[in-house]
Amino acid sequence: MEATLRRAGEEALHNVRAAGLSGEAFLMHNRELSIEVSGGKTETLKEAEQTGLGVRVFNGRRMGFAYTTDLSGPSVVEAVREAARIAEFSSADEFNGLPEGRRVYPGMMILDENLHSLPLAAKIELAREVERAARNYHPSIQIIDRAGYEEYETAVLVMNSRDIYAFGQANYCGLHVSLAAVTPEETQSGFAYTLQRKAGSLNPGEVAEEAANKALRSLNARTIPSQVLPCVLDSQVTAQFLGLLSVSVQADNVLKGKSMLAGRVGQSVVSPLLTVADDAAREDGVAGFPFDGEGIPSTRTVVIENGILNGFLYDTYTARKAGTQSTGNAVRSFRSLPSVGSTSLMVTPGSTPQPALWEDLEEGLYVTQIMGMHTANSITGDFSLGAAGILIERGQLTYPVRGITIAGNLLDLLRDVDGVGSDWRFYGSRAAPSLRCRSLNVAGN
Amino acid sequence: MLDRDLLADVLDTALKKGGQFADIYIEDRLTSNIMCDDDRIERIHSGREKGAGIRLIEDGRTFYVYTNDLSREGLIKAAALVSHGIDTPCPAYRPATELRLINTELPINIRRLPEQVDFAEKIEYVLNANQVARDLGDEIKQVTVAAGDLHKRVQIANSDGEYIEDETARVRLMVNVVAARGDQVQTGQEVVGGVSGWELLEQVAVEDLAAGAARRAIAMLSAPPAPAGCMPVVMHADAGGTMIHEACGHGLEADLVQKGLSVYSNKIGQIVASPIVSVVDDATLPGKYGSYRWDDEASPARRTLLIEDGYLRGFLNDRLSAARAGTELTGNGRRESYMEKPIPRMSNTFITPGRDDPDQIIRDTKQGLLVKKMGGGQVNTANGDFVFDVQEGYMIKNGEISHPVRGATLIGNGPRTLMDIDRVGYDLGFAIGVCGKEGQGIPVGDAQPTIRIRELTVGGTGMSGGPLIKKIWRK
Repeated sequence: MEATLRRAGEEALHNVRAAGLSGEAFLMHNRELSIEVSGGKTETLKEAEQTGLGVRVFNGRRMGFAYTTDLSGPSVVEAVREAARIAEFSSADEFNGLPEGRRVYPGMMILDENLHSLPLAAKIELAREVERAARNYHPSIQIIDRAGYEEYETAVLVMNSRDIYAFGQANYCGLHVSLAAVTPEETQSGFAYTLQRKAGSLNPGEVAEEAANKALRSLNARTIPSQVLPCVLDSQVTAQFLGLLSVSVQADNVLKGKSMLAGRVGQSVVSPLLTVADDAAREDGVAGFPFDGEGIPSTRTVVIENGILNGFLYDTYTARKAGTQSTGNAVRSFRSLPSVGSTSLMVTPGSTPQPALWEDLEEGLYVTQIMGMHTANSITGDFSLGAAGILIERGQLTYPVRGITIAGNLLDLLRDVDGVGSDWRFYGSRAAPSLRCRSLNVAGN
Repeated sequence: MLDRDLLADVLDTALKKGGQFADIYIEDRLTSNIMCDDDRIERIHSGREKGAGIRLIEDGRTFYVYTNDLSREGLIKAAALVSHGIDTPCPAYRPATELRLINTELPINIRRLPEQVDFAEKIEYVLNANQVARDLGDEIKQVTVAAGDLHKRVQIANSDGEYIEDETARVRLMVNVVAARGDQVQTGQEVVGGVSGWELLEQVAVEDLAAGAARRAIAMLSAPPAPAGCMPVVMHADAGGTMIHEACGHGLEADLVQKGLSVYSNKIGQIVASPIVSVVDDATLPGKYGSYRWDDEASPARRTLLIEDGYLRGFLNDRLSAARAGTELTGNGRRESYMEKPIPRMSNTFITPGRDDPDQIIRDTKQGLLVKKMGGGQVNTANGDFVFDVQEGYMIKNGEISHPVRGATLIGNGPRTLMDIDRVGYDLGFAIGVCGKEGQGIPVGDAQPTIRIRELTVGGTGMSGGPLIKKIWRK
C-alpha cells in the first residue's frame, strides 16, 4: 500500500516543485467492512475500499487545497493545478507554512494482521452472538433494531516538500447493538457499542447486556418537578460533556476568542479532582496513530491538571501564530485541510467506585442519557439539554426519570465536581469516568 | 458518464450467485467551500470525487460494495465481491439486463453552475457578509461566513431495467456571529441554501442574512435566561420546521416503523394529531434544500400526505421497506453518497397552513413563550421524546410580546405535542438543515405555519418565581 500511495504523493510533490511552489501530499487508503444481522441472518453486508489524495500548496504565504479520489497521473496533476489556482485567491498569512525536517515517530501496535485474515463467517458469527445474547437477556427485549460487527483499516501517508515523510497503518473492529424493551404500555430503546484493536477483545455478551440494561432501566419512567439537585453523570454523559469542552481547548478557537478558556492558562478552571489530557500515542483509543495530519509525531498533552489549565491543543498554523510548538493535533481527511482537533481526549479516572458516588446522597439524579448536546453553546459552555436518568433517594437508585431538561454552564458544572469514579472507559475517541456534581438545574413538570 | 452496457454487465455479475434485485449508483461530484473567519479568508477547498455503490438484495438482505475505481475491471470486481456474502448460492436463469432510460417531467432548474462561477465572485459574497456583520458595532467579536457548493452528476441503473441520468446542484451560505458584552457571550446564525446554482444569492441578499445574525446575537445579550417549566408555546412560521421534523417526521420513516421502533407503528388511519393538523413531505418543491427529481434509488420524487386533519395516512419509504409492506413507493430512498446504501429519509417536511391570523394567535395567548428561531434538535423515535434548541425566543404576556429570553431548550413528546396543537396560522416558513440518521447526513427542508402548542417543557436556567433564583445572580 505504501508504494501505491507514495507514487501518487511523489507525482504530486514533483508537480508542486515544478510550479515553483512548496506543498504537501496527504494520502489515505481506507478499507471498511460492516455486517448487520437480523433473526440470525445477515441483513446487510458492506465492504468497501477508498483512496484519496489531498494536496496543500503554498505560494509564498498563500495557501490552496484540492482533493481527488483518482490517483492516476492526470488527476493528480489536475488536483495540484486546482490547489495552485485556489492559492491565488487566498489571503496571504504570515503564519501559513509547512512543518519541516525529519521526525521520529512512536512505535505503536495498532495494526492487527490477524483481523484481515479472520474469515468473514467468524465475523458474522460475532454479530449473531450479540443479537442472540440480547434477545435471551430478558423477555421484554423484543426488538433488536440492529446488531452488527464493523471493521476499519486505514493507511496514511503524509509527505511534504520540507522533508516530512510519515507512513502508518492501523485497524480496529467493533460490535454494536440497538434494541428495545417492549411492554404493553411502552417501548424504550437501548444502544451499546465497543471498539477494539483486536477481534479477540470483543465481548458480544457484554455489549448485549449493556444495551439491554439501558432499555430496561428506562421503563416506567416518570417526570419530576423542576428543582436543583446533586447529580451523578454516567461515564458516557461525561464523555459527551468532554466533547463540548474539547472545542474550548483547541488553539484555533482560543486564538479567535471563541473559547471560554482563552487567557486562563495557569488558573484554576475546574474542580481540582479533574485532569484532562489528549493522547494519540495511546494504543487503546481508536484515534491512536503515530502522527497527525501534517506528519507531526503524536504525544500526550495535558490540558487541565488537577483543575489548573495547563495549555491548549495546536496544529502547525496555530502554534506559529501563538509562538509555540505543534502538539500534533492536526486532524483531517484527504477531503479537507488540517485543522486543530482532539485525538484521544480523556478525563483521568478517580478512585471511587461508581455506586459510592451516590451512596451518601439524600436525593439526587443519576444522569444516564443526554439529548441535543449539539445545541449547547460551545463558546460560553451554556447548555440546556434533554435528559433521562434514575432518581437517587437515600443513597439508592430508585425510579427512572425522563422528559426533563438539565441546564447550566459547563465550567460551573465541572467546578462543582466533588467525586470522580473509577469506572473509566473509552467511547470512540473519548474516554471518561462517572462524575458527581453538587448541583444541577433540572426542569420537569 | 459510464456506458449503459457496462452498467448492465455489472448488474448481471452482481446477480450471478442469486438475489432478486441489484442496482448501481454512480456519482461524480464537484464541491467547493470557502470559509472566512477572524476577518480573513481562512480556507478554500475544492474537490472532485467519483465513486460507485453496488447493491444486491436477496430475500430482504442487503449486500453493499463501493469503490472509487470506475474502470470496467474495478466495477466488475466490486460486483463480484457484492455477492460473496450469499452463503448458499442459487443462481437462477435470468435474461441479461437491458437498461431503458426513464424520464421525469420535473425540470433541472440550475442557471449558474458552481464551477462556472469564479472563486473571486464567491469570495466577494463571503467578504461582503463578513463586513456587514462586523459593521454592526463593537459588540460583534467574531464572524464566521462559510459558503459551500456542490454539483453532481448521477447515473442509477437497476436489474428491473430502469436507468436514469440526473444532475443537481446545491449552494449554501452560513453566517455565524459572536457578540459579547462583559462576561455575556451570545451567538446568532443565519443560513440560506437550496437546490440551485449561484443565482440563489441573487434572490436572497447576503447582507440581510449577515445583519439578521448579528442583530440576533446582540439582542440576546440583553435577554435574561429563559424560565424553566411548562407553558404554552407559540412557534412562529419564521422558526422553521425543526419541531415537525423531530416530533413526527423521523417516526414516519418506514424502516423504523416496520421494526416497531416508532410510536406511529400500526397507527395508519388512527388519530395521531389535533384535527387542525396536516403534515406533508414533498420532494418536488422547486429549489428547496431537500428537493430532488429522483430519489437515490431511481424512484421519482413526489408529494406524500402523512397526516390529514389529524389522521395518520402514510409513511415514507424506500424500495426495501415498500416491498416489505407491499405499498407503493414514496420516493424517499436517500443516501449521503455512493458510500452508503439508501434508507427512508425525509425531503421537505411541513405542517400545511391553516386558517388563523398569525398575529391573532399571539394576541390570544395570555402567557407563554414565542419561538422566533429554532436551532438543532434530536428525537428518540422509540418513545417519541424530542428536544430542540431555541435560538431566538420572547416571553408573551397578555397577548403582547414582552422581552427576549436566551438559553431555552424545549422538550416534549411527539404524539402528545401533535395532539396539543390548538392553533394553526395561514402563513408558512421554511428552514434548511442537514439531517443525520445511521451516520448519514443529507440535506432537508422543513416548514410550518405559526402554531400554538398548549403546553411544552421549557428548560431554561431561570426559575419563574419561587425561591430558586440564585442561578441568575451567578451569570
